[in-house]
Formats: sequence, C-alpha cells, structure tokens
Amino acid sequence: MASEERTQELITGLYNAVVAMDEEAAAEFSQAVLEEGIDAYDAVTKGLAAAMDRVGELYVKQEYFVPELLLCSDALYAGLHILQPHIKIERVQAKRQIVIGVVEGDIHDIGKNLVKIMFEAASWTVHDLGRDVKLERFVEEQRKTNSDIVALSALMTTSMLAIPEAIRMIREHDTNVAIMVGGAPLTRDIAKSYGADGYADNAVEAVQEAIRMICQLRESRQNS
Amino acid sequence: MAETKQIRQDRMTPIERMNALLAGQPIDRVPVWLWLFSSGFAALNVGYSLAESYNNPEKSFWAQLWTIEMYGSDDFPKPSCGGNCEAAWAFGGQFKWPTSRYEQAPSVVRHPVESAEDAQKLELPRDVKTAGSIPLYMQFAKLQERFGLPISLPGFSPIEFVRGTCGLETLCRWLVRKPELVHRLLRLATDYGLEVVRYWVDTFAPQRIIVQTWLPSASNQVISPNHFRTFVLPYQKEFHEKILATGIKHICCHICGEQNLNLPYWARIPMGNPGIVSFGHEVDLTKAIKYFGDSCIIAGNVEPAVIQTGTHEQVYELCRQAIEKVKYAPRGFILMPGCGLPPAVPPYNLFMLKKAVNDFGWYD
Repeated sequence: MASEERTQELITGLYNAVVAMDEEAAAEFSQAVLEEGIDAYDAVTKGLAAAMDRVGELYVKQEYFVPELLLCSDALYAGLHILQPHIKIERVQAKRQIVIGVVEGDIHDIGKNLVKIMFEAASWTVHDLGRDVKLERFVEEQRKTNSDIVALSALMTTSMLAIPEAIRMIREHDTNVAIMVGGAPLTRDIAKSYGADGYADNAVEAVQEAIRMICQLRESRQNS
Repeated sequence: MAETKQIRQDRMTPIERMNALLAGQPIDRVPVWLWLFSSGFAALNVGYSLAESYNNPEKSFWAQLWTIEMYGSDDFPKPSCGGNCEAAWAFGGQFKWPTSRYEQAPSVVRHPVESAEDAQKLELPRDVKTAGSIPLYMQFAKLQERFGLPISLPGFSPIEFVRGTCGLETLCRWLVRKPELVHRLLRLATDYGLEVVRYWVDTFAPQRIIVQTWLPSASNQVISPNHFRTFVLPYQKEFHEKILATGIKHICCHICGEQNLNLPYWARIPMGNPGIVSFGHEVDLTKAIKYFGDSCIIAGNVEPAVIQTGTHEQVYELCRQAIEKVKYAPRGFILMPGCGLPPAVPPYNLFMLKKAVNDFGWYD
C-alpha cells in the first residue's frame, strides 16, 4: 500500500500528464497507481478528471485551443483505459447518461467529439451515435438507454434545420427527457426557439449545462 | 422596421459600381452581395438542385445571374465547384454531392491522407488542368469571360487544402505532434495552389481575375494565434505575394469565423490593391477597418443563421448596423452575409440586405 505522500505524488503526476498532453506519462502513472495499490477511482477523479477541468479552464481562457484539447484528451484516455477496469463497482455511483450525435446532413464532428470528451471526463456514460445521424436514431438510442439527456450538434446552417425536427421526434416518444443543442451557427435564442432545454456555447460549458438540465428535469418529475 | 421606402433608382450598373469601387472612385451606394462563394440559394431559387450549384457550372452560372437580376444585387456569378472537398477530390480521396434536405455542401467520404505514411507519400496531381474540380472552375471562368464579368480564380488556401487532405482532427493533432508532416503538406498545397494560379494567368488577362479564398480552419474556434503564426501565416503570405506578382490585382479573402486573435497576423498578408476582405459576425467591423481599412474593401458580416432563422426585422437591423458602421471605410464596404448563405433562407429575409442598402447605403 502506497503512503499518502506517494499517492498524492502519483495523482499529481496524472493531473500534470493530462494538462501537459503527455500520453506516455499518463499511462506510466496509471500503471504505477495499479502496481502500488492506490484506489483507481481516486486516481481517475482526483487526477485525470480534475485535470480535464483545468484543461477546460485553459480552453475558455483561450490559452488552449482545439489541438491542445484533443491531445489532453488522448492523455486522459491513455490513463482511463488502464484504470477504468480496476474501479471497484461499489465506488461507482449510478452514472448519468447522455446520447450525443451530429444530426443528419452534417459530417462535422470535431465539436461533438470535444463535448463527448468533457462528458466522459466528468464520468458520464456517453452513447455516441457519430455524425450524419438519421433523426430516428436519436429516438431509438434514447429509448434503449433511457438517457436523461440527448445532445444534438450541427455545424452547418442547413443541417441545423434538422434539429427542431429531431426535438419534435424525441419528445413525441418521451416528454421526460432533456435536450441540449450546440454548434457554430446556433445561439441560445435559436436553441430556445427550437424547443431545446439547454444550449452550450462550447464543450466546457456543456457539462455544467447538462447538470443544470438534469436538476430541472428531476424537479419537474417530482412536481408531476 | 422603418416605414417602407421606395427603392431608389441606381445611378450605376452593378459592374460599373464594382469597377469604380475597385478603382477607388466614387460610387452611388454601398454594393450588396447576397452570397460570397456558395450559391446554393440561387440554384434552388430557379429550380435547380443544390448539387448542381457545385457540379454544373453552366446551371450555377445562370442561376446566379437570374437571381442577381431578381434581387437587383451587385454580385457577379462566382463558382464553388468542390465546396470543402477540393483537396480530397484533387488528391485522390472520395466525396459525395449533397442530396438530402439537410445537406448544404459536398462532403468528404474518405480523405486521401489517413496516416503519416500517406502524408509522406502524397504527391501533386500530374496535371493541374484535369485535377479535381479544376475543369469545372475553368468552365465557369470561361462563362465569366464571355459575359464580360470578373473572372474567379479558386485560391486554394494552403491550410484549408491540408485540412481537406487529412481531416481537421488529424490536422489539429499533427500541428503539435508531427509539425514536419504539416509543413510538408502545406508546401504541397501551396505549390498546387500556385500551379492553378499559373493556369489561370496563362488563360485570362490577370487584370480581370479576382482570386477567391477562405480559411475557416484558421479560426480561433480551432487553432491558436501561435499556430496561425507558424503554420498559416508563412504559406498564406507566400501564396498571396506570388499571386499578386503575376499581375492579378485583387484577392477576395473570407476571414471566416472568430479570428480576432489572428488579425495582427492577417494584416501582414497582402490582399491586392485593393483587396476585398470579408468577415463573419464574430469580428467587429470597426476592428476590421483598423487592420485592413487602408488597403482593402471591407465586406460582411450579416449573421447567416439570423438570415435563416430570424425575422426580417432582425435581418434588416443587422444590415443597418453594419452599413452605418462601415459605410465610410476608406476603401469602401460591401454588405453581405458573414459566411456561406444558407440555401434555404426565407427570400424576404434575404431581400432585407438590398432594402437596408436602399434605406441607409446611399452616398449622397
């Protein structure tokens, strides 16, 4: 069993590896965590996930941009792949789930991928449908997984016209689901006019917005 | 909206107005372009398919001409043959034309560069005249020549071409992890773009050519100003300098998206005398004047999403604000959408650009 000091050293190492975009170091520290008997759950939440929060801050402050965010996420996944199988089931709370995808007609998925990374870093289960997704697939996946949130993305002004249609289809099957939208041409006003429950301007804001939406959803479930 | 005003009689034809603007002479009113390079709206407007606005130069040309006539705008027909798939097409990737109701442009199915090894092996197409979309662009340019219009030259920006060969996500990773590969691809892309320039200059009088170029991948929504300085600035600058050295006078450059942090670098890139620089709504046009006003005509920047989903009053108001802010820019102003015009915008919303120019854009 590692000392408290050594545990802290490894967790800090993981944190720094992610922020520094160092995949190799993230894997090495993760391996050391396992070998030295440190709780994998703590290493993920206090090391890897906390680091992605910091990365998000750097992105919002325009110190990091998309390349840096992608490379930090590579380091994150290098650590997660090693640690996740060793997280004791009793440590895992019921995970929040989200269905995500780029709507039909649109192949631009880098924004959606960034949002997915931020949700995975925040320990959500992400059901990623990919890009150019037929609208009925969002309905099917939400029903299958019973996810609280569906997130729809579009980069083009034409493909964004699929969003209100997707929202209508999802609601037709389940009114008890929150829908978030995002993508370059969208704004909070447009999101509202489309009937979405939430909107995020960037990947970092998306998780906070989703948490707010879930609280609202639970409140409305309790009231109904 | 203010009361309905009668449309005033123009004192110049659109061609006279554009020629005078480019020559630095007085014009009667602010010119209005309804679209920059993507003319899907015009194709749908006359009953053609969206794909034909890209792959059928004859139909695209006439659809634009008729739509310009209908709206009384100052556009001239401009080609966008491969959309964002130019590089994939020219270098052996796969792409598809838009067919579904939610598609706006051709989209890449397979990039020609999928690995570092592919990037090392990539070579220029043997004959630029037959590469990718070039035959379509040439067909379009010959129509422009025949009708006495400015001749469009597709100015393939090096960074966009590299994005088109390997995809944006790979490009982003390689900017940090494999910069040498990015530089190799940028060299190839620059050389390819310059071969296209030579082909045009050998075919048409350089004075009649206007280069059209755009760079969404260089925006700060994607890359940092440091990456811009290292990977975009040197190649784009070389590209523009060599274009202008051929005798071509004007480069029409769409500085796409949020590029505020890049503007000091953009200001080092020559655009011609004058150039035309257009901006998205993310860049304040007052700031644009600060960087480019002395050497370039400023164009922009009505938010396309508002033209598509807003009310006509909102569109009119955005136009009014833009005109009042930039009307007296030293080299002039062109009112236009801040990026590609969505093909399915409400026609009356689009008419607001013309109406606002009529109400606020006269110089007397």
